[in-house]
Amino acid sequence: MNIELLLALVTGAALFGVGIYGALSQTNLVMIMMGVELILAAAMVNLVAFWRYLHPDAAAAQMFVLIVMTVMAIEMAVGFGVAIARFRAKGSVEMEEAAELKG
Amino acid sequence: MSAQAFFIGFFGLASVWFGVVVFRTHSMMRSALALLFSQTALGALFLSMQAEFLGVLQIMMMATEMSIMAIFMVMFMMDPGGLGEMDMTHQKRLSLAAGFVAFAAAVAAAVFVDWGPVASVAPDAAQQTHDLGVELLGRSMLIFETAGITILTAMIAATAVAMPPVKRIRNK
Repeated sequence: MNIELLLALVTGAALFGVGIYGALSQTNLVMIMMGVELILAAAMVNLVAFWRYLHPDAAAAQMFVLIVMTVMAIEMAVGFGVAIARFRAKGSVEMEEAAELKG
Repeated sequence: MSAQAFFIGFFGLASVWFGVVVFRTHSMMRSALALLFSQTALGALFLSMQAEFLGVLQIMMMATEMSIMAIFMVMFMMDPGGLGEMDMTHQKRLSLAAGFVAFAAAVAAAVFVDWGPVASVAPDAAQQTHDLGVELLGRSMLIFETAGITILTAMIAATAVAMPPVKRIRNK
């Protein structure tokens, strides 16, 4: 197997693992968003690696990366909107205190 | 080992290391900066893989995004400097196990899947940008436009959610 492709995929796997840990372990909304950012970053690394080493002539692979970047920006915008609303209502963005919708 | 493999390994390691630092420091400012460095290392990783346009875009976009995140960190956190060393985690063991299982599964997929023939050369930077432009304004135009509309909708929705409630005065 190509060593460069393997290195890139292992980097993506490590970022994915760290992101999962962050998203599950943090109690603060902004920190949870950071975990999600790392998960999306892992997806981008894999997409770029697949484009470069498997299909360098397919520009659609690069387009997918742009879509993932858009998803990151949307996640940030909506997340901070929710954070402001939550902070205004409760004075905190701690997610352990946000159990109103729990069944 | 080729120079490309060395730089991919180096920037990959830097990206993962700063990603880990995000959740290990008590200071929220340091967390935001560590995420900025992690994403910048990722941009450098893209440049190492000869994806010039995406690498530069990643660095530019993440520099602004993470600066905004740092401002929000200071605004919302009870202890942004981390001087009190507050623990803001829960279900640590479960999270660690989930993270490790996800990492192991992804590495197993990377190692054991037959990815087929590997391309040795990539198109040059000008050709890549040209091809991406043709792709965006041709076959993938609908997806690209949908992404644009979605981000506009998200911006309006986020602003609407963040606005303070209007106090209505009843005229009776």
